[in-house]
Amino acid sequence: MGRYLIRRTLFLILVLFIVSVITFVVFVKLPAQDPAIRAAGRSPTPELIATIRAKFGLDRPLYVQFGRFARGIVPWPGVFLDEQVYFSYTNHVAVKEEIYSRVPVTATLALGAAVLWLAIGIPIGIVSAIKPRSIFDRGGMVFALIGVSAPVFWLGLLALYVFWYKLQWLPGSGIPPEENMIQAVMAGRFILPWFVLALSFAAFYSRMVRGNLIETMSEDYIRTARAKGISENRVIFKHGLRAALTPVVTMLGLDIGILLGGAVITETVFNLPGLGQYAVRSLLNSDFPAIMGVTIFAAFFICVANLFVDVAYAFLDPRVRYS
Amino acid sequence: MLALVGVLALVAAACGGDDEGGATGSTATGASGAQEITPGGTFKAALLSDVTAGFDPQKEYYAVAWAFYRCCLARTLLSYDPNDPDSTHLVPDLAAADPEISSDGLTWVFTIKDGVTFGPPYEDVEITAQDFIRAFEREGTPEVAAGYYFYYLDTASQGGIVGFSDFYNGKADSIEGLVAVDDKTLEVHLNRPAGDLGYRLAMPATAPIPEGASENHVDDYGRFLVSSGPYMFEGSEQITDETPAPGYQPGKSITLVRNPSWDASTDSIRKAYVDEIDVAIGGTAEDNQNKIDAGELDIEYDGIPPAEAIRRYTTDPELQDQIFVNSSDGVRFLWMNLAVPPFDDLAVRRAINYAIDRDGMRRLRGGETVGDIATHMIIPSLENDALGDYDPFPSPNHAGDIEAAKAEMANSKYDTDGDGVCDDPVCDNVLFVTDEASPYAEQAALVQDNLEPLGITLDIKAFERSTMYNKYFNPKEHVPFGGGAGWFKDYADAYSFVYPLFYGPNILDAGNTNYPMLGADPDQLRKYGYTQEFGVTEVPSIDDQAEECFALVDPGERTTCFAELDRILTEEIAAYVPFLFDNDVDTVSTRVQNYVYSGFDSLMALDQVALANGGA
Repeated sequence: MGRYLIRRTLFLILVLFIVSVITFVVFVKLPAQDPAIRAAGRSPTPELIATIRAKFGLDRPLYVQFGRFARGIVPWPGVFLDEQVYFSYTNHVAVKEEIYSRVPVTATLALGAAVLWLAIGIPIGIVSAIKPRSIFDRGGMVFALIGVSAPVFWLGLLALYVFWYKLQWLPGSGIPPEENMIQAVMAGRFILPWFVLALSFAAFYSRMVRGNLIETMSEDYIRTARAKGISENRVIFKHGLRAALTPVVTMLGLDIGILLGGAVITETVFNLPGLGQYAVRSLLNSDFPAIMGVTIFAAFFICVANLFVDVAYAFLDPRVRYS
Repeated sequence: MLALVGVLALVAAACGGDDEGGATGSTATGASGAQEITPGGTFKAALLSDVTAGFDPQKEYYAVAWAFYRCCLARTLLSYDPNDPDSTHLVPDLAAADPEISSDGLTWVFTIKDGVTFGPPYEDVEITAQDFIRAFEREGTPEVAAGYYFYYLDTASQGGIVGFSDFYNGKADSIEGLVAVDDKTLEVHLNRPAGDLGYRLAMPATAPIPEGASENHVDDYGRFLVSSGPYMFEGSEQITDETPAPGYQPGKSITLVRNPSWDASTDSIRKAYVDEIDVAIGGTAEDNQNKIDAGELDIEYDGIPPAEAIRRYTTDPELQDQIFVNSSDGVRFLWMNLAVPPFDDLAVRRAINYAIDRDGMRRLRGGETVGDIATHMIIPSLENDALGDYDPFPSPNHAGDIEAAKAEMANSKYDTDGDGVCDDPVCDNVLFVTDEASPYAEQAALVQDNLEPLGITLDIKAFERSTMYNKYFNPKEHVPFGGGAGWFKDYADAYSFVYPLFYGPNILDAGNTNYPMLGADPDQLRKYGYTQEFGVTEVPSIDDQAEECFALVDPGERTTCFAELDRILTEEIAAYVPFLFDNDVDTVSTRVQNYVYSGFDSLMALDQVALANGGA
């Protein structure tokens, strides 16, 4: 297991390197705006642009420019997202400072939503699977269709309009600067974002659980378990569900990893100052150090989440062993 | 309705103007009606986007940031009183009186007020002449990448501060033309008279900086900003070289609290009624509007309200005193590149000016509320409205006159048979570059419809806004026709229109805002490839007229000169199709009292606003 973890960690660095290369190439080849010209403001002289280009290191060969950023992908304190290089071209704040201040918001949103979509999606999936073509199954299908079809931005605005503006049951968007994360959670500021974000995922997960469980319940070992006289609940939950959940764990790991990189639309609609909002702003401003930083950070989360998933397999599925 | 809300705004301004006595006991008209002003409370605002350069006063070139500086954070030698109906009128702010100007106009002497100190952590430091020089030097330091250093350069074509160019170019260690005679006397020497110097000295980059505050913050002084106004970033007393004020969280929030150093007796402009100003950054216009409706938010400070809200607030009698419409002193226009056929022909340009349905362009943007139809390029307030009803391309209801357009086109070299329809291939698929967002794409379609009878077809390319501007800013892109541009004044003098937009010597390799290449000389046309690609060797120019206006010191002569220049530009060059003098539209909560509009930054004045019952 130890060797496996070391191998995977090295693989993580390789993935981050590839992501950084792609991000760098995309930025260099398809620049929305020359950052030096943008920073130079109106009516810049060629000398001013040259000065800023030198300041940003843009006057140096591409491999040198990339090298400066590449060093920052090593996940090690003091090196990761080095503040000298990963420093916003536009608001002049270290990218690391921005990211670290926003991670709690995004993590609260992603993890809270994940708990919700599992709590909603798995039971619906189980009921649909054990009573196929019943009214529960049909209802589950309708729920899934609605959940997957409703765009998050529309659902978010609708939820705000109904539950905050009209009914006044829940707080509106945003987190007041005087509130910390715990206070914001306690004030219920995440309830609507959690539900809105969770809805589409819950719909998808319910269908996935249903499909997997139906397939698993037709396996030979399930028939054997029933033949041995084991109770139906035990057959379903101990033997059937455990196998059916393995792909769900895979998806969960990936989904949480992606969301930790920023739930862009949800954060925008609910004005949550998370990584997704930061990513959008950085893209619109062509703020390359910020784009690079947030991309690497998101990739880092996805890789780590994948690693957790793979390790979790060993516990969930007895057939999986790592060496 | 426009008139009604305009009147409401004027009433609010006028009532605010009566209030010279301090922060209590005055009356005001605002969203909550005429009543006593009680100071106090927390004013809640929202910004859809953060300021653009981390609140650095030398870098920020953005009206929202300027509004915060003027109202709250950065006092200047001269400033504007939002209560003054004449939004171009400068008043002494940190200066004790108007400057003494030498008879040749080359030396301006300012006496600085006694007893004015900076905010924390420099609350014991009195503001001196050297603090202003420090700000100018920061503005003139290329590494700072300041936003509008060019306004202070002393060049052959511009009256500026003696030695500023040398300092900027690294040829001098200090700015020769700025002399601190003593702590309270600042002399400003110019290379040639500049009638608009006062306005340039009222810009936020010239606000004083205490020694030690900015030296280690070439890039990020914004978060370490030391206030000289009635408010400061919350927690400013904690500022050290490493610790910024927590009251500004970039991209998230701005929290302004009272600056304990500010003394109302030294400030005749700012009322500072509210105790605190909280600004949330981000979100959507629709959500912010709902919050204003619900009383959870007092104003969205950037952008305009959703069209639905504008309709509701202008038609519902109960809401009509919560909407304010004011000129934002900007113009929106189409522009044609004089160095690209068929726009190298005056007849084509004039034909297009006749053909465009200006009212339709405005309707697509939101109708009458969003502004008045523009019939010339320089906004009326900068010309003392000298052009009045001037309309060189009249048409019924400003909807375009295709017959007059055809008559103009018949004079064109590109209409060989004189039937009013262009028959040259240069009129086919003319590249039209615009913004992909609404309403620009819809306006492009309208332009296409308007020009079809003239035989001009468009190849419409819509881009994300910054990409569009990238193409506009680069003269080598040879963009022939643009539809997504607008221009807003920097300060209350037409120089801030004429120099950047129309002046030939200001055509730049990058960041060029003279989109039509007006006044480009043969070398420039060759340098940017127009001669080689299109055979164009000369274009019209208004440089001589512009330089004549720049040199005038008398305000009346200056506005008259610029108005004549505007007439020539609109009628005899016709490289632009102005269609809208833009309005700023605000909806505010019922809590808001004493809404006063600041003509300097074209936004509500946060230093004048109050809350009903002190926000209780």
